[in-house]
Amino acid sequence: MEDLKAYIESGVLELYALGELSPDERHEVELMLARYPELKQELEEIEHALAGYSEEYAIEPDESLRNRILESLDTVSTEQVQPVITLTERRHYTFYKYAFAASVALLLLSIGSIISLNSRLKESNSRIAALELSNQKFTNRINYTDRMLNEANEALTVYQRPGEYRLVKLNGTPKTPGASMSVAFNPAKKIVMIDRASLKMPENDDKHQYQLWALVDGKPVDLGVFDAGDSDKGMIKMKSLERAQAFAVTREVRGGSPVPTLEQMVVIGNI
Amino acid sequence: MSTGIKNLLLTLSKKNKISLPETELITAIRNKEKIGSEALYDMYSPALYGIIFRTLQDEEQSKDLLQDAYIKIWNSFASYDESKGRLFTWMVNIVRNLVIDRLRSKDFRNSNKNQDIDNSVNAIDEQLNTSINPDTVGVKDMLKSLKPESKMVLDLVYFRGYTHVEAAEELGLPLGTVKTRIRIAINTLRKIFN
Repeated sequence: MEDLKAYIESGVLELYALGELSPDERHEVELMLARYPELKQELEEIEHALAGYSEEYAIEPDESLRNRILESLDTVSTEQVQPVITLTERRHYTFYKYAFAASVALLLLSIGSIISLNSRLKESNSRIAALELSNQKFTNRINYTDRMLNEANEALTVYQRPGEYRLVKLNGTPKTPGASMSVAFNPAKKIVMIDRASLKMPENDDKHQYQLWALVDGKPVDLGVFDAGDSDKGMIKMKSLERAQAFAVTREVRGGSPVPTLEQMVVIGNI
Repeated sequence: MSTGIKNLLLTLSKKNKISLPETELITAIRNKEKIGSEALYDMYSPALYGIIFRTLQDEEQSKDLLQDAYIKIWNSFASYDESKGRLFTWMVNIVRNLVIDRLRSKDFRNSNKNQDIDNSVNAIDEQLNTSINPDTVGVKDMLKSLKPESKMVLDLVYFRGYTHVEAAEELGLPLGTVKTRIRIAINTLRKIFN
């Protein structure tokens, strides 16, 4: 009896119930259990306590798992018991109804998410369009600013390097006494520019333009056309030229004429 | 549409669970009767799933393992011997062996970060927000009489897939102390449940 008490207190039955013993140890315990009913009683109480403990911590598995697991267990059909069969069929039917409901729910969910995605896509597209527009505006502004900067720099070169550029002042003819302008001329680089800031000319209409001429050895050479009156204030580069004795501007039909209309001469200046 | 779903859910929740006395259950399983498989599932799946989920801490893997366990229990039922212990004990041991195999498999270790042992059974209950069974509210209180150090050892072995040797290593305790604590914990449980 003392030995049994020590055996119980060793905790070996608890380890047996927990499945913690080697096959040999299990076999030994099973021999002891068969021999001593007290040990069997002791083991039953241990098992009962552990079962109770696990029930305290039980977790109900997902409802769908029941069918899945029961279908994977091979059973012998018991046809003589009518209620069991109807129960089975009902459950089977219920499964399909449930599956159908789940499919429909999934479909609705999908449609919902497609609609929401689509509207988000539209929103994104219009946002992209707006960004492209403002990007275009910025590009235009930068191009404009670049052009203004270049013009300003060129004008600056003309005035900063008087040795390179010759500023030729063109004055009004008897018909247009108030008119005047300046032409910058660099013979070495064959550059002719009009300083728009210096333009004091009557505004031309849409059908006419001013045309700049150079007098080279007594013959007029076309240097291109320009407008007076618009707000740009930089230098305009005209056609290139190596040498000249004088510059003159005539009023011509828009696009310019092959030969100057002398009656329409507005300003002239010798170099 | 929505009432249809509601009715379906009602039908499902109204479904009665099948329960049989243990000796009848064992006979029904030996005869491979459908009612035996249903009772086996309804009576024990929550307790077994509780053990599996607490150990693996992953729903999909736990469901798969519960299915594997039931297939094994069903197919190897011939090896169950009532004289050697209760049916539930035998089932828990099958589950535990599968769980331990799973824990040691390479792909499980790769897919699961090692959980802290402090992530105890109680923490899982908080996560799951398990509903309190009014019949066992008193038991929950009584479980507080378990000494924490004993509960820790028992939980590692029973709910976390540790062998008692691994539990001793994990806690840095001599094997004898671990065995004593398991026995103390189970003695307390016997006072509660017997």
